[in-house]
Amino acid sequence: MRVRPGLLVLLALAAVLATLGIVAVRGQGAPVSRAQQVQQIAAGLHCPICKDLSVADSPAPLAQQMRAQIEQELAAGRSPADIRAGFVAAYGDSVLMTPPRHGLAGTAYALPLGIVAGGVLVVIVLMRRWRTGAADEEPAERLPAAQRLAVRRAVERLREEEPG
Amino acid sequence: MAGLGAYALLFALVLAAAGAVVAAVGARSQRPELVAAARRIAFGLLATVVVVNGAMLIALLGNDFSLSYVAGNSSRETPVFFKVLSLWAADDGSLLFWNLILAGYLTAVALRFRTERPPTFPYALSVLFAVQVFYLVLVNGPARPFATLAAAPADGRGPAPLLQNHPLMAVHPPFLYLGFIGFTVPFAFGVAALLAGTGSDAWVSLIRRWTLVGWCFLTVGLVLGALWSYSVLGWGGYWAWDPVENVALLPWLVSTAFLHSIMLQERRGMARLWNISLVIGAFALMTFGTFLTRGSVLSSVHAFAQSAVGPAYLVFLGLVLLGGFGLVAWRLPTLRTPARLESMVSREAALVGNNMLLLAATAIILLGTAFPLVVEAATGEQITVGGPYFQSALAPVFLLVLLLAGTAPLLPWRTVNRARAVRRLRVPVVAAALVVVGTAVAGLADVEAIAGFGLATLVLVANGQEIVTGLSQHGGMRALLRGRRRYAGFTVHIGLALLAIGITASTNLAQQTQVTLKTGQSTVFAGHTLRYEGLETDQQAQRIVLTARVSVAGDGALTPRMNLYPAAADPIGSPSIHRGLVHDLYASVISLQDDGDSATFRFYRNPGVTWLWIGGALMALGGIAAAWPPRRRRRPDERPQRRAAPVGAGVG
Amino acid sequence: MRRWVLLGIVVAVVTAIVAVLSTGLGRDPSVTSSPLVGKAAPDFTLAGLDGPAVTLSALRGQVVVVNFWASWCTECHEEQAALDTTWQRYRDSGVVVLGIDFQDTTAGARDYVHQKGLSYPVVQDSDSRTALAYGIRGIPETFLIDRTGQIVDRTIGLLNADALAGRIDGMLKAGAP
Repeated sequence: MRVRPGLLVLLALAAVLATLGIVAVRGQGAPVSRAQQVQQIAAGLHCPICKDLSVADSPAPLAQQMRAQIEQELAAGRSPADIRAGFVAAYGDSVLMTPPRHGLAGTAYALPLGIVAGGVLVVIVLMRRWRTGAADEEPAERLPAAQRLAVRRAVERLREEEPG
Repeated sequence: MAGLGAYALLFALVLAAAGAVVAAVGARSQRPELVAAARRIAFGLLATVVVVNGAMLIALLGNDFSLSYVAGNSSRETPVFFKVLSLWAADDGSLLFWNLILAGYLTAVALRFRTERPPTFPYALSVLFAVQVFYLVLVNGPARPFATLAAAPADGRGPAPLLQNHPLMAVHPPFLYLGFIGFTVPFAFGVAALLAGTGSDAWVSLIRRWTLVGWCFLTVGLVLGALWSYSVLGWGGYWAWDPVENVALLPWLVSTAFLHSIMLQERRGMARLWNISLVIGAFALMTFGTFLTRGSVLSSVHAFAQSAVGPAYLVFLGLVLLGGFGLVAWRLPTLRTPARLESMVSREAALVGNNMLLLAATAIILLGTAFPLVVEAATGEQITVGGPYFQSALAPVFLLVLLLAGTAPLLPWRTVNRARAVRRLRVPVVAAALVVVGTAVAGLADVEAIAGFGLATLVLVANGQEIVTGLSQHGGMRALLRGRRRYAGFTVHIGLALLAIGITASTNLAQQTQVTLKTGQSTVFAGHTLRYEGLETDQQAQRIVLTARVSVAGDGALTPRMNLYPAAADPIGSPSIHRGLVHDLYASVISLQDDGDSATFRFYRNPGVTWLWIGGALMALGGIAAAWPPRRRRRPDERPQRRAAPVGAGVG
Repeated sequence: MRRWVLLGIVVAVVTAIVAVLSTGLGRDPSVTSSPLVGKAAPDFTLAGLDGPAVTLSALRGQVVVVNFWASWCTECHEEQAALDTTWQRYRDSGVVVLGIDFQDTTAGARDYVHQKGLSYPVVQDSDSRTALAYGIRGIPETFLIDRTGQIVDRTIGLLNADALAGRIDGMLKAGAP
């Protein structure tokens, strides 16, 4: 069955978007086990004596003890937010793997979006300016039709095999 | 040795300064004999720096502990292999090595332009000498490798245990240095073009190859760093978003952007200002990286011992930025190029998009890494910007980069014939869609992971398709070799796709567990039965190695180790890895109890990690292929090289 | 004219960058400040190594020097003399020196105490909850707590007996009974 390439591409794109949409809406699924919860919280905490490892990844004894404490507190019914707050009270904001959301430090979360948005803006402005440059060009002298056809064929052949 | 080394360093500094002046005067006054003299000075400088490094090596191998560097970084028990590597184990010695590589590049440039002399050459030589002057001032001033101790100790302290634990120490720093320092050459030629005031684009083609050289080395250096983190540090991962790792990535991203936007200048004469800024930016970021690494400004795994070089690097960084961008501002009129964009869907637009994304990633990483510093300066508050921040911020950006890598090679210049583009995209898009649907159906619940697999497939199939088309339609290997640059680009993209698959798989599908086993006890993990067999002790000259043997049912044994060095308070763990194409089985021993009768292990199942190394290697190979100079044959029947655009022709 | 404006912008931006980065020089990146200084000391009740259990809130009204240590920590060995001197000097002035053993074995701790002739009360933090509540990053760490139960100082690493004595004197003089 010969399907038109355009249709096939469109179908494929539709399938991709639909799948991603469904997965995004469905989310991560069922609630996680206790061990996974500990892992999640520990992954968000910075092991205080390591250089950049999280409490989940670090083999240091202190990190082990922190994980044990997280598990105990979860068993006792404390919420993840409270557990994190407890560590922040003892170690300071630097025990969180990412900056706190308030104050000057919280601006870190706006940065990536701002940078990308700024980049997109610059690109759009730039490309608009370049496009108007193209429109201002004067049309080339018209060649007779047969020659134009020959030139076009030659250019296409060139494009197929041009290096670099 | 100490005296020889110190005097030779001083002599080298004098030579470098002389070379900078002679080359500069020769450039301004256009006197070829001065330029020739500068070239000879370059050879002399290389010889002197070789002598200096040789002196340090002899001191290390000969256990000359009167030198404080040798006493602090080597010992009698250190194996010869690691004694040699101690040359770059710490700040002062590694600066000697840095100077050696820089002098090597300087000489390579001097040799390369033996016969053909572009007008920028003398200026570039002068700039290279000037950079060398800075690094020689460092080793003559704040960081003295040949400083002597009043009383030489009987034995040295030995290298830091982590640095003598694994042979990768032999290659990771050298490749990184070759990469970083390699970017000095494009910078020198860029500044030279600004100084010479030539408005032509000749310099761009010239430095493309040199940038590629630096880029290839840096790619290998970064991949080796990840390999080290994975195979040596034992935490199961390969990239910790450590500040020093981050700043090493920055010049790589910027030079990748340059290697793409260079096509805009070569083909369409566009983006001249942008390209020169990228070249200066890559070098400035590299300098910023060395400042951050060696100036003990941020806490890091790579922190060198407290050294007085911080202020010197900062001053140099300031000079580089002022000089480089100041020149750009000064020469702005000559840098303006007429730019034309026929269509939003074209190779040009895709290249602009590529640059925007890569520079956005650079900015995010740079600002994120410097953020704790800024916040502490402003409010005194101490915060951490760690892995989760960078991962969530950069994932969308890198996914978009993959999208471009899978579609842009199929886009033509200027305008696209829509039907033809769709025809070419047909197979890659369908393949990607199949992968997306397939992974979702298989149960993967993370949108970014699914998108990652899908886009990597797109890149793989699209670039692979172009190579296959080239092989089959246009005359096989000869076409490949003639269009070397293009097919090398496809290869690099394929390597990138493999890298992306490895990263996506290992980030989202990894499993781990921590378990304490007594001797003879087994546990089941990820479908394997693992049994702790017992502890073996091996007394070596410089350390004691405790191996906790774990047998894997049907698949041999894992041997994670704990290495006890006298200099280290804590043992250094070494993981044991069973590598595979689908997944790695990874074991590390966290602690031992009861004299080894009981041991706490961490086991990991890391899918896809092997593809990281394969992908990285392929990227480097593609880069080498792109940089490989064409054979210059003069045959009357050979077809002339085609250049698509009137501007942009130049010496390569 | 435009050239000079652009050049001025470049100079301004570069100066700003260098200024910000220079604030990073001269500080030790591994030193972190404690958020507990100036706040109420977390309360705890810990079993004694070879004596009665100790509850921190029961010591309200006295100046308390809390020192976290372990038998395998070499710096702890070095500062032991300073702690003992402080205890001998101030034990009758309403000052308590309390040692909290952390990440250690009972046998090792006992050996250490007997070897060093420790005279002040020692308790064990077997599950490390107290250490974590105090934000311990390594040992030794010493906290100086005033009579109202507020932490006034935290020292990481080797203690200086004279500096400690100076601070305690100041607190004893200033504090109302």
